[in-house]
Amino acid sequence: MRKFSIDKENKGLEPSEEQIRRYKDFSRLHHDYERLTKRGKKPVYQDPKLYMLIVLIGIILLIILLEE
Amino acid sequence: MTDSEIVALAKERQDYFGELYERYFDQIFRFVFKRLGGLESEAGDITQHTFIKAMANLNKYEDRGLPFSSWLYRIAQNEVNMYFRNSKGNYTVEIDESKFKDLCEEAEINYMSADQQEQLINLLNKLEQEQLDLLELRFFQGMSFKEIADIYNITEPNAKMRVYRILEKLNKKWSDEK
Repeated sequence: MRKFSIDKENKGLEPSEEQIRRYKDFSRLHHDYERLTKRGKKPVYQDPKLYMLIVLIGIILLIILLEE
Repeated sequence: MTDSEIVALAKERQDYFGELYERYFDQIFRFVFKRLGGLESEAGDITQHTFIKAMANLNKYEDRGLPFSSWLYRIAQNEVNMYFRNSKGNYTVEIDESKFKDLCEEAEINYMSADQQEQLINLLNKLEQEQLDLLELRFFQGMSFKEIADIYNITEPNAKMRVYRILEKLNKKWSDEK
């Protein structure tokens, strides 16, 4: 929750140029963006369902080949 | 190059987004910093998130003749509100006394003692967050009705009407309180 109060000491709320410079970094932004949007996919062997599906397809293909 | 031209290029190649970042980082950081009452590192994180979201959603952005910055302000506004919602504690945002007096003048509330100021601040704090947002943009961030209208995607007279309705409401509550 946000509440207002009056700045009686007149501190002012403008950030300094130094403060702005500290956070302005496009390469970091680009890196964070890549990290968030292009996360590496799980390898097949770490995904049990996909792994089982591939094994199952392999077995079916093997059975078909042997039948022929 | 105009913003529209850079946006069109940035939709094709992300590198061009850097130009938009360079142009608007400072003003978005200032906006967030003031809205958070001077919390520096939080302002840095929220500004960064704002640009990440803008970059991720750039393809959805449609140029309707509004300044590109109003789209960024809208994202930043949402990010700040989300931050307030998710924060467990209460945040105190300090406002300039002279700006507070401007608000009083516009609400037709006469100059008051320090105690009465506190009373009015308490009334202000009881307003809905969306109403507070509008007053904050207008009086404490010093935005024009046109800028507010662009952020909310409404017309300028509508923005003006909304702000003045809130001021009327505040005035009425103040009269009742007295």
